[in-house]
Amino acid sequence: MTDLQDWVRLERAFDAPIDVVWRMWSDPTLFSAWYGPKGFSVPVAEMDLRVGGVRKICMEMKTPDRTITMWFTGVFKEVSAPGRLRYTESMCDPDGNIFKPEAMGMPPGTPDITEVIVDLTEQNGKTVMVMTHVGVPAGSAGEGGWSQAFEKLADRLLAG
Amino acid sequence: MTDSQHLDRVFSALAHPVRRQLLARLAEADATVNELAEPFEMSLPAISKHLRVLEAAGIISRGRRAQFRPCHLNTEPLEAVARWSDQYRHIWEARFDAMDNIMNTIKSKEERND
Repeated sequence: MTDLQDWVRLERAFDAPIDVVWRMWSDPTLFSAWYGPKGFSVPVAEMDLRVGGVRKICMEMKTPDRTITMWFTGVFKEVSAPGRLRYTESMCDPDGNIFKPEAMGMPPGTPDITEVIVDLTEQNGKTVMVMTHVGVPAGSAGEGGWSQAFEKLADRLLAG
Repeated sequence: MTDSQHLDRVFSALAHPVRRQLLARLAEADATVNELAEPFEMSLPAISKHLRVLEAAGIISRGRRAQFRPCHLNTEPLEAVARWSDQYRHIWEARFDAMDNIMNTIKSKEERND
């Protein structure tokens, strides 16, 4: 963990047993049901759920004019049911070839590969989920602890 | 230097816990090297070295008053990074709302079946 940067870290408590939350991440059908951002469906979710196994996700949005599709691929780095799941993610073409983020209109410097870490713990029938989404910028090892600085910076940016 | 090279420089400048703490401090107010060094068990030259890295990346600028040269945070290079992080935060929040709804649906179905 020390070589990662906490770009996005969210914590949530769900009124559900840990096994159910685990299945939300690891069962392709259930994952597809919640993963698409507003307006997007997830027509393809392939998960070879083991360390080194490949995952491939397609998100689709139909507009009157056209259908927007986005593909993501990555590899499972850690599969410890029901407590911890870790996988990488990159934008790709339908064949799984990774795109440079700039080619997709993302700001320059956006990392090619990000990593999603899900930690689950059960407390009195509720499940606490901590999701961390990190990116490792090219050429820097990095060392954790971004969130505090970012929160202050975000406040500062909002204050203008 | 291209935009991409500049961002690489910003990212590598940010990739050190001391430098991030220095920035967090400067986000509150401008400060001199002495003020910045106070919370650290580090020599002034070591702190100055970190400040030079931040300055080279354009994240901070130094005043020109000879003795004090207070450091000032420049937010522009950090905005792209913050935007990335913010965007994803909103997407994930919405996703987890959806996840919560689905789990509630599953639960009420199971209760009906019991």
